[in-house]
Amino acid sequence: MATTAPPYGREVRIKVAGPAGAGIKASGETLARSFAKAGLNVFDLTEYPSLIKGGHNVYVLRVSADPITSHVDPVDVLVALDQLTVELNASELVDGGALVYDPDDVTLDTLDARLRERICPVPVRLTQIVKDAGGKPIMRNVAALGAVIGHLDFPLRFLSESLHTQFARKAPEIAEQNVAVAAAGHDAAREAGCAFPGRVEPLPDAPEKLLVDGNESVGLGALAAGIGFYAAYPMTPASPLLHFMARYGADAGVVVKHTEDEIAAMNMVVGAAFGGGRTMCASAGGGFALMVEAFGLAGVSESAVVVGVFSRTAPGTGLPTWTEQADLRYVMHAAPGEFPRVILSPGDMTDCFELAWKAFNLADRLQTPVVLLSEQYLQESHASVEPFDVAAVTIDRGKLIPEGDVSRHDGALGCEGRYLRYKLTEDGVSWRALPGVRGASQVVNSYEHDEYGHAEEGAQMRALQEEKRMKKLDLARTLVPPPAYFGPEEADVSVVLFGATKLPVLEARDWLEASGVAVNVMQVVTLWPFPTDEVRAFLGAARRSLVVEGNYSGQLEGLIRQHALLEVDEHLRRYDGRPFSPEQVFGKVLAMVGRGPEEAAAPAPEERTAVQVGEPSGKGADR
Amino acid sequence: MSERDGTRPTITPNDFDIFRPLNWCPGCGNYQMLSAMKAALADLGLAQHEFAIVFGIGQHGNGADFIKVQAFHALHGRALPTATGLALVNPDLRIIVQSGDGDGYGLGMGHFVHSVRRNIDIAYIGHNNQIYGLTTGQASPTSNQGMKTPSTPSGVLEEPVNPLGVALAEGATFVARAFAGDVGHMTWLFKEAISHRGFALVDVFQPCVTFNKINTFKWYRERVYKLEEADYEPDDRTRAFELAESIVHIHNEDPPEASRIPTGIFYRQEGVPTYQDGVPQLADGPLWKRAREPRDVTGVLRAFA
Repeated sequence: MATTAPPYGREVRIKVAGPAGAGIKASGETLARSFAKAGLNVFDLTEYPSLIKGGHNVYVLRVSADPITSHVDPVDVLVALDQLTVELNASELVDGGALVYDPDDVTLDTLDARLRERICPVPVRLTQIVKDAGGKPIMRNVAALGAVIGHLDFPLRFLSESLHTQFARKAPEIAEQNVAVAAAGHDAAREAGCAFPGRVEPLPDAPEKLLVDGNESVGLGALAAGIGFYAAYPMTPASPLLHFMARYGADAGVVVKHTEDEIAAMNMVVGAAFGGGRTMCASAGGGFALMVEAFGLAGVSESAVVVGVFSRTAPGTGLPTWTEQADLRYVMHAAPGEFPRVILSPGDMTDCFELAWKAFNLADRLQTPVVLLSEQYLQESHASVEPFDVAAVTIDRGKLIPEGDVSRHDGALGCEGRYLRYKLTEDGVSWRALPGVRGASQVVNSYEHDEYGHAEEGAQMRALQEEKRMKKLDLARTLVPPPAYFGPEEADVSVVLFGATKLPVLEARDWLEASGVAVNVMQVVTLWPFPTDEVRAFLGAARRSLVVEGNYSGQLEGLIRQHALLEVDEHLRRYDGRPFSPEQVFGKVLAMVGRGPEEAAAPAPEERTAVQVGEPSGKGADR
Repeated sequence: MSERDGTRPTITPNDFDIFRPLNWCPGCGNYQMLSAMKAALADLGLAQHEFAIVFGIGQHGNGADFIKVQAFHALHGRALPTATGLALVNPDLRIIVQSGDGDGYGLGMGHFVHSVRRNIDIAYIGHNNQIYGLTTGQASPTSNQGMKTPSTPSGVLEEPVNPLGVALAEGATFVARAFAGDVGHMTWLFKEAISHRGFALVDVFQPCVTFNKINTFKWYRERVYKLEEADYEPDDRTRAFELAESIVHIHNEDPPEASRIPTGIFYRQEGVPTYQDGVPQLADGPLWKRAREPRDVTGVLRAFA
């Protein structure tokens, strides 16, 4: 009989924790890159308070030889950079799990005796190692990373390469010094004699992978799409996209503007769209609140803009550095009145890349705002992924007249030969002549307007223009990405979800399959216009249905009820600022099929023991 | 004459005429401003496709419908960022912004300050009538202290915003004031502002004949004088600032001889790099040209391998 505990694959789960400002995220990424360079699959999760110094920062890295899609709960190796970590996180270690700590400033005496018995202490004098190497205190992390690598018996050279990448822009001695510190940490951990129950080995003929987070993936997609202008005001979790654009976009010819506020960012983006650039801005839900006025401007002026809304826990300032999926209804209805918009929701890094470039084409084809609705969990987590399919990227600028004389474009003119910016058309889209085109006098207008663009209050024209704009939703239905499906056609439980909840759910789906429970998943990729027919077909064929979403009120479930006129059997919601864990989804589905949630929620300790990662080999670790 | 034989077509103010009813109040200063703008554009020889005008919201903004150009009628207070976006994707266009006192110095004050300090190459024409016209006569940020309006029945408590002073404090390189009652002088100032490289402010006293019964054409006529006729050289920022300060404490009841209002160019500095000058990405012309085919990102991808 199949177990009710998650059948974890060949993997290692590493947690590094300590005070903010200790460089935990940066060093975590270095570690992730080391494993990715060896062809292993990685996924990381950063949890940090909205603080610059102090507080408790946590970096979780999962490494596996098998495909993985998300983070998981158990910890095989815990690196405690301060005493608080020992108190807060030591109990998460699996039996036999390693606790790496500096005996000069961290004690394990405070731990419960039973806990101390079931874990394996790895004392490494991190501060002393750094001192001996003549390094700076911040390099303690690097010594700790070396210790992790040593404990796992993983070749040091990948960490060394990764450190060289991290410090490529600095003097070569800095990378060398870091490598020396890592090597000392590596040796110290091996001397501690706490052996990992398996080995972590590089995969032979490792395929090339990218180590990216959601922000980088969106940025790469926008770059590929030929973005010309990016404007933003810093706000977690969208700030890294601004940094990405400033670093890589500007080199590639993108004008990048850090504006005085989000209001300016969105208005600039609309003005830039008028000028014909492919334009984008992004923020969290809080910043989008300031953009909403100009978001409506984009709607009435029929501006082709892409807007990233990367949710964090709200309302108000909320939990600035934590995740949530509660902005769906808000983004759907944002701005006064009604106008067509497209909302795309990436579920992983590859989605981020593809939907980003597609968003620009949709904005141009529909001449209306396209929202990329993502969330902190996806934007700030890294995964190793197959290189993006850049060859698939296409550019479609729709009905655009970028230069020349407007009189050559019959379709753009009225019967008296004058250019009609808002000409009433079958599909609701009019020819867009850029300023600079001869003969294209026009008013792109925030007011309701006639076909020329002049302000117009007549009832008939108002109705015609509203209908013209709303027709675009019908066109949108033929252009937007369809839902994505995972799992078998026939399943015990059918799950509907959107966004990065895809990651833990797909992980749980694999475990459930291994446990003999068939699950299929529908990821709603385009949230608006809502894929009513597809949802109806999927749920109509479902034996038992479940909606998983990261908000309190069940916003997606409500859309299903409203549009597909269907009730789902059960839902799983989370709104505590944390992403779903696959274990949680696993337990929920097991309970739905009558396999008992209790055991599933708390797997037996012996079943959580780490197993070998990588190819079995008799060789010793090479340095 | 045509561009084909190498000569530029002659542009006349009538080229910007549009055959629509103009519905500003009879006697509104906006009519003179519109005439001055058309004359300035014609004198500069700017054809329709060589510039764009971005309007804010307010009575001034309705001018978007009264001139045949390539225009964007933006949101209340947001004309400047909209125009900035346009300026940052198409360096070939001359950009003009028209904004009102409530629009640009109230809701849009933040954008005004930041646009000045970034010296974005935009000519900014402020329609300043010291009152809200479109929303029926409430106090505006430039209303004089003590002015009684429906929203300030006991009189305005705040000091008026000093647009010229703010612009000078933020390092503006062209700061001027016009009076709508003098179309010739105003036309000249518009031309100078549009020709100036960098952020150019022309704040225009443009009486609201319906709601501002105090700061009328007559009130201004009794007070305005031209700096060009007063032995003033607009090359000293400190002096310009003092001059800009000079009218802030004018009260509506002050006698004309005690409340002289300077018009003309307060300060001008040529050769200061504009924001656009600092953006190398604009060197190759409008950004739409770069979105004709997918950008090759393989080089950037390598950074994440």
